[in-house]
Amino acid sequence: MKTQKIIGLIVLLFFTISCEKEVEIEIPGYEKQLVVDGFIETNQPPFVLLSNSQDIYSPTDLNSFLSGFISGAIITVSDGTNSVVLDEICTDNLPPGTEEFAAQIFGLPVEEIANYHLCAYTSFNPLIFGQVGKTYDLTVSYEGKNYTSTTQILAPTYFDSTYWKPTEGLTDYGYSYVTLSDPVETKDAYKWEVKRINKNEDGKEIDATFTKTFQPIFNDDFINGLTFDFWYENPMSFKEENSKSEFRGYYKLNDTVVIKFSKMDQITFEFFEKKYVQLSSGGSPFASPSNIPTNIKGGALGVWAGFSPIFDTLICKQ
Amino acid sequence: MKYLFSLLILILTQVFFAQKSTLSGSITDSKTGETIVGAKIYIKSINKGTVTNSYGFYSLTIPSGIYDVIFSANSLDSVREKIDLNADFSLNVELGQKIQNLSEININAKQKDNINSTKIGQIELEIAQLKTLPAFMGEVDIIKMIQLLPGVSSASEGGQGFYVRGGGPDQNLVLLDEAQVYNASHLFGFFSVFNADAVKSVNLIKGGMPANYGGRMSSVLEVSMNEGNYKKFKLKGGLGLIFSRLTLEGPIKKDKGSFIVSARRTYIDVLMKSFIPKTSNFAGSGYYFHDFNLKANYKLGKKDKIFLSSYYGKDEFTYTNARDNFSVKMPWGNAITALRWNHIFSPKLFMNVTGTFTDYLFKFVSEQDIFKFELKSGIKDVGGKVDFSYYPNSRHKIKWGSEYLFHTFTPTSVSASQEDVVFDTGKAQKLKSHETAIYLLDEIDLNEYVRVNVGLRYNMYHFVGPFTRFINGSLNGQDSQIEYKKNEVIKFYNGLEPRLSGRILVNETSSIKAGYNYNYQYVHLTSLSAVSLPTDIWFPSTDIAKPQTGWQGTVGYFKNFKKNMFETSVELYYKKMNNLIEYKQGALPQDNVNDNTDNLLVFGEGWSYGAEFFIKKSIGKLTGWIGYTWSKTDRYFPDLQATIFPAKYDRRHDLSIVAGYKLNNRWTFGAVFIYATGNTLTLPTSWYVQDQDLLFNYGSRNSTRMAPYHRLDLSATLYDKPTKTHFDEKTGEKIEVEKKCRSNLSFSIYNVYNRANPYFLYIDNDGELLKGDFKITVKQVTLFPIIPSVTWNFEF
Repeated sequence: MKTQKIIGLIVLLFFTISCEKEVEIEIPGYEKQLVVDGFIETNQPPFVLLSNSQDIYSPTDLNSFLSGFISGAIITVSDGTNSVVLDEICTDNLPPGTEEFAAQIFGLPVEEIANYHLCAYTSFNPLIFGQVGKTYDLTVSYEGKNYTSTTQILAPTYFDSTYWKPTEGLTDYGYSYVTLSDPVETKDAYKWEVKRINKNEDGKEIDATFTKTFQPIFNDDFINGLTFDFWYENPMSFKEENSKSEFRGYYKLNDTVVIKFSKMDQITFEFFEKKYVQLSSGGSPFASPSNIPTNIKGGALGVWAGFSPIFDTLICKQ
Repeated sequence: MKYLFSLLILILTQVFFAQKSTLSGSITDSKTGETIVGAKIYIKSINKGTVTNSYGFYSLTIPSGIYDVIFSANSLDSVREKIDLNADFSLNVELGQKIQNLSEININAKQKDNINSTKIGQIELEIAQLKTLPAFMGEVDIIKMIQLLPGVSSASEGGQGFYVRGGGPDQNLVLLDEAQVYNASHLFGFFSVFNADAVKSVNLIKGGMPANYGGRMSSVLEVSMNEGNYKKFKLKGGLGLIFSRLTLEGPIKKDKGSFIVSARRTYIDVLMKSFIPKTSNFAGSGYYFHDFNLKANYKLGKKDKIFLSSYYGKDEFTYTNARDNFSVKMPWGNAITALRWNHIFSPKLFMNVTGTFTDYLFKFVSEQDIFKFELKSGIKDVGGKVDFSYYPNSRHKIKWGSEYLFHTFTPTSVSASQEDVVFDTGKAQKLKSHETAIYLLDEIDLNEYVRVNVGLRYNMYHFVGPFTRFINGSLNGQDSQIEYKKNEVIKFYNGLEPRLSGRILVNETSSIKAGYNYNYQYVHLTSLSAVSLPTDIWFPSTDIAKPQTGWQGTVGYFKNFKKNMFETSVELYYKKMNNLIEYKQGALPQDNVNDNTDNLLVFGEGWSYGAEFFIKKSIGKLTGWIGYTWSKTDRYFPDLQATIFPAKYDRRHDLSIVAGYKLNNRWTFGAVFIYATGNTLTLPTSWYVQDQDLLFNYGSRNSTRMAPYHRLDLSATLYDKPTKTHFDEKTGEKIEVEKKCRSNLSFSIYNVYNRANPYFLYIDNDGELLKGDFKITVKQVTLFPIIPSVTWNFEF
């Protein structure tokens, strides 16, 4: 990540002295590919979205984006003992009580979700709910082609402790901190997500869903076997229109934060690591033009990811 | 190979039986006492001649007799000496400055040299001429001028990395007084480390590399520093908009020894300070570079001379953000020293011994609150070489010698800490190796028409311990490793490099030349980005990274017109390169934890072929050249892509027009026009969405081509009057006396018609998919608009 930082700074320097303009240039070589976005978490059903990759110059309005999602595929998930064909569930015909979840998945307002025909694949069969220590095979059959993948749910790592302290110079605002003891004998990789559950004026939790931080992925290359403290920012504060810029990134005194700390296998980590590198380098040629590696075999893009999250509640008080 | 040895033995046998007298000595500039490189010694009656070597020494063995010998060099008056040669004779010649009010400039005393010599793909640049051409931000830049020659292209706008005949920027052997320079640029590549005030001569070899050079595949750029004035003290310098430079030179002891000290500094940081208020979060951010050249030399009697050359340069980029308590310091630079000793054993035998030290270091230090991160990357070279030049008769010039370098590479060394907790960043990996070579070459006149330069180089390379080789295990398992002890040979490579070039004189004004060279290269440059940055990492050959090897064949036709006023040439070349390196897709060389850099590399091969056309006018008020290159350069890396793809600097067309015009004694004008096919690059061909994040998928490597690059630069230099009028007290007549203080004003305009040339392209995405205002566009970034500059140069 440090190489990215160096490159980022150099980019910053160049941008200060340069000028830019929009150009039309031929970018040859587009091939439509299937995109698999699937995951399975401990005690949760498998969940898969399918879509198509789009030409770089293709229309990018909302309808074009939503029309990229695919229905009509046959998806099977197997843990070696149980093999389950996932159900196709579409937004215009949702089981009662799942509207909110579906709206979050597609990023649409809950009241509009029924107006679209957007499909996802999952199963309510508890036999195929995620369990620590198991390996899950995925098979997608679509338009006569088969795509396969495998992921694992590894044993989670728990925090030693969590705490909050105000940032120097402030009394009511600070980052969230944890103490973590990384296991020495395994290669470990983690994902950090958060949501605040203190209630707002309407009596609802402030954050409806978990939000990823800006660099939510890390592995133990630097910290293998160490016990150490680290902090993460409050990613939600950057999206809050009424938050003051000097307090952005911090949790407020008395915030109650649920930290979802998920462990993943190395192949899943590779996908997410390269994904966040790409997101931070933004297609700049200062970074190597590299595709995000996929663990889907058969010519598709995307990921089939297994996570074993732990949940820890932090009350922001000293 | 057997035939090559037989030929060498036959030649040497001939050589030792020849009985003649030798005329030898050195040629210097009468005004400064500095030796002149490439001065010409010519005897018309027997049509024999030679040129001085890089130490100003010459030796010519010819039958005894009385000769009219002409000694000449660029822009200096020729000297004609009548010599009765019946025994070996030593003659040191001083050439005087031409009277300044000549209305024409003659920039090439080596007329016909292009026809006569066996040099193919070799060009010497005249520093005096470079100083009259347009200079970017007022700073005369040798490497930017090199990029105007056919077969040489720049990496990108303003970039210092240069690509010779399809080879990478690491394939150029850049020598400053015989010491290697690894990163010859300042300010992320916009300025070269060579201060034109401290440079005496520049010689570029892009094909037909003689056997005395090795270790790189594509070219040799040999830069010699000025020796300093042997006669009197001189101070010269220049004041520019973002630069200033100052040079002091003078005798250590008159006509025995001299020194030169030269320094430059930018004041971008000072300018930035005035724009960033002290209260700003970014106060303390800035950039500067400075460099420093030193050379001293001393004659120890008639046969010995020692030289000390030194260069030190440093760039530093700092960024501070007080709000986030975040700071970055990024210093990098070179330190180079060469100590040389010339000894003349006899009029026919010249020796040079060199000891060199090169240190290149790049550092990145970032601090945020209590977290500190430091990354270092560097190279240390310690080495020496011995070269002998033997001139048995006028038909042979024999050279032999040996070279040794001890490399210590630190590709990346990372440390990180957070107050008392020191993170495990692995052991700093240092890669050590010994590189050795011996060579022998002879330049032979087989007859009046045919001259060949035949040579052989043998190289050896030992990659030695201590070293830890990490072997990557399964994804979730532990890696294994092998420990090598100090000086344990981990890998040994060796090889023979045959070199051959020759010319056939067709007639007085034209010749055909051909050359072949085979090269080994034991260092690699690995780059993550499409443009050359200090983050590029030099890496030696290891058990995994094999040495680069390659060969080049070249053939050319050279013809002069109008009494050598116009020199023209056409050269064709074909080049094959093996064991080239690139990073694996998505490789992130960020630490040295349980991994080696070469585990992140993939290997491939490359080809380049092309035709170069060159017309040069060296005589008259209007001088300059037109160079055009048609070429094709491809790469094949099976681990990156199953098909062959164009190299990122594959350029079908490359045209440079360079012109200088001397209007009168006061005004000189210069113009440069460049047109080049756009660089290739890899852009995303499609986008997709995962977890509501927009991601890109890249297509075939280098399949997109940027718009063509073209640019016109103009310059004008206004000189003060070279003389002032005095009245002779005795005669009362007016006389013109040369001024002690001289100055000139140099105006230049870079990119006259403000062309928005592409520096790079990127994909920009604005808006949000789910809000419906999302848009993907291709943006082109242009670095330099029209930039006028003015520099005041002085000398006294």
